[in-house]
Amino acid sequence: MTKSERPPVLVRKDDGFELSLSPDERVFVSSIPTQLAEALDAISGSDQQLPANLRRLFPAAYPTDTSAEASYVSLVRADLIEHHRNALSVLARTASATHLTDDEAEAWLTALNDLRIVIGTSLGVTEDMVQPSPADPRHAEWICYDYLTYLQSLVVDALADLLPSIPPTPDDTTPDDPWGDPPGGLRWDGTPVPPEP
Amino acid sequence: MGTAPSIEVSPATVDELHVDRPWLVIVWNDPVNLMSYVTYVFQKLFGYSFAKATRLMLDVHQKGRAVVASGPRERAELDVARLHRHGLWATLEHQS
Repeated sequence: MTKSERPPVLVRKDDGFELSLSPDERVFVSSIPTQLAEALDAISGSDQQLPANLRRLFPAAYPTDTSAEASYVSLVRADLIEHHRNALSVLARTASATHLTDDEAEAWLTALNDLRIVIGTSLGVTEDMVQPSPADPRHAEWICYDYLTYLQSLVVDALADLLPSIPPTPDDTTPDDPWGDPPGGLRWDGTPVPPEP
Repeated sequence: MGTAPSIEVSPATVDELHVDRPWLVIVWNDPVNLMSYVTYVFQKLFGYSFAKATRLMLDVHQKGRAVVASGPRERAELDVARLHRHGLWATLEHQS
């Protein structure tokens, strides 16, 4: 069955969502959070150095101010670990469910994004990546990453439908951008500006 | 009646309190976060319209970064923490 032929994965129903996944998908979804959950269990809020594979989940708020960053970490790190850890638990626990509450769907979104961040960082994903060949030693990881991307985009779309419709207003301006447009058609990291989607 | 104690205010303190220099909440581009997800997070966290959230998302994607909110330090730091909960690469900067 191709993706376009399959029934919708998430359908709005009874203050939540009806979840339709194949048995194989459910087995995958229930097992994929294990490794990251164990990695999060192994760190604590007071850890100064995080394992390389987890750093992207805990970005610096003050990258150039070590003392401000230290107090930010002591304020939020433990809560942030707990937040990511809970989302992974919900994903594993509800992988076999036929109905998700809105909160559970939010947890799916968080967990799927966290997993994609960790796997994508490890694979060195770029925006213009090409489909890896089956001969690639990390082919299985790429397939896993692609599937998580597919599933996350469905969950985003389902949850975005619940957002209140806010009309743009004349004073609906963005905050001041102190940099303006990047020079010479290049982005700030020096790569070319991609075409409008 | 005694005289009121004088309070020394250093220029640095005045500078810190200056309301014209807000703290900027900056989101940086990364190749993993989905465009639809980033737009969703901006709408959900900041109550922005779809149009405004999309414009900011495209700024992040095309320019490499965008200021998504600004204000007093405590408020901006809270916004950064909320963005970190959603896996976005956010930092905080005092407007110069």
